Amino acid sequence: MHDVVMVGAGPAALTAAIYTTREDIDTLLVEKGVVGGLAAVTDVIDNYPGFSKGVHGLELAESLREQAERFGAKIELGEVSGVHDEGELKRLETTSGDILAKAVLITTGCDYKKTGVSGEEEYYARGVHFCATCDGAFYRDKRLVVIGGGNSALQESIFLTRYATHIDLLVRSNIKASDVLQKEIQPYLDNGKITVHLGVTPKEIVGDDNGVTKVIGTSSDGKDIDFNTDGVFIFIGLKPNTAFLKNSKVKLNEQGFVITDNNLETNVKGIFAAGDVRSGATMQIASASGEGATAALKIREYLEGRLHNPKVEQLEVTP
Amino acid sequence: MVKNITIFTSDTCGYCQMVKTYLKAKGIGYKEVNLDHEPERRAEAHKLSGVLTVPVTVVTKTDDSQEVIVGYNLAKLAPAVN
Repeated sequence: MHDVVMVGAGPAALTAAIYTTREDIDTLLVEKGVVGGLAAVTDVIDNYPGFSKGVHGLELAESLREQAERFGAKIELGEVSGVHDEGELKRLETTSGDILAKAVLITTGCDYKKTGVSGEEEYYARGVHFCATCDGAFYRDKRLVVIGGGNSALQESIFLTRYATHIDLLVRSNIKASDVLQKEIQPYLDNGKITVHLGVTPKEIVGDDNGVTKVIGTSSDGKDIDFNTDGVFIFIGLKPNTAFLKNSKVKLNEQGFVITDNNLETNVKGIFAAGDVRSGATMQIASASGEGATAALKIREYLEGRLHNPKVEQLEVTP
Repeated sequence: MVKNITIFTSDTCGYCQMVKTYLKAKGIGYKEVNLDHEPERRAEAHKLSGVLTVPVTVVTKTDDSQEVIVGYNLAKLAPAVN
């Protein structure tokens, strides 16, 4: 049995683990994907404090992992499929059997949303992608379409210019990315490497046996527009990774994010949540790390039997 | 029995790092083909996997049969290399 098991090993969990292990709290992290989470598959992170020139996501993830492991955190590669509250103990179902813990921290983060348009599933990984840092290398000297208008869409479009000859950026309404990213993308708009198409909603991804050939978008006046392309990268927002909590007592909001109180504790005593998966999260790596630190301190109080519990229902926050 | 393992990767791919970390932790050797440094081998990775993504892990057995694992998929990777 462990003092605390953290589900996921992104920045929130790795930061929390640095704090808990330094306090000699026996800590296990279970990660089904990449240690470092979405941060690890982001090219450059420019807004994480302490890195004046920015830091590659993979480098930050690796550094956080090393720091947590230096103090004794154990990271197990596997998947948690269920969390059961058995009073003082929590039982986690995993791919390598059940794990018992006194406390649980849910830090499963988010994944990129899908558009749901025709062709998206059919051409997944054969022209439709959700990870520029993984798949961009296949598009050297090719044309691309990027769908989305938020921070990720702009950041990853800039990354993809190192490979692609041209990028059509399809934005359903307006650009919602930060001012900094809008300034960063401007030179690529000026030199014609990226063309932004506002008010265009993807309708269909079309292809043949060799992969994707075009994206059909619908303009705000209802006309269909063809965008010839060799591939599509989709960054239209995030959805929480909480499917494994479906049969648990942990309360989720309508969008599936975990509801917590000010102590980052869920409605189930001893089960906490931090980072992007939490209702009210700001979806920033620095915030996730901060929440990880807070959660670790609250878990320590819980383990010592001195955590004050306000009612979760009174503190619900909508993201 | 495993004869050799080749992983197609890129410089920036977090999932590639996970495959390498897993194999290193198990003490299993591998050869890496980084497509950022050897872009001419993209077609080879595509032909083997049928998809345009990395990591692609090719496990060659002693009877020269091959198992190809796309992405970081422990459920397939672990039995293939152990």
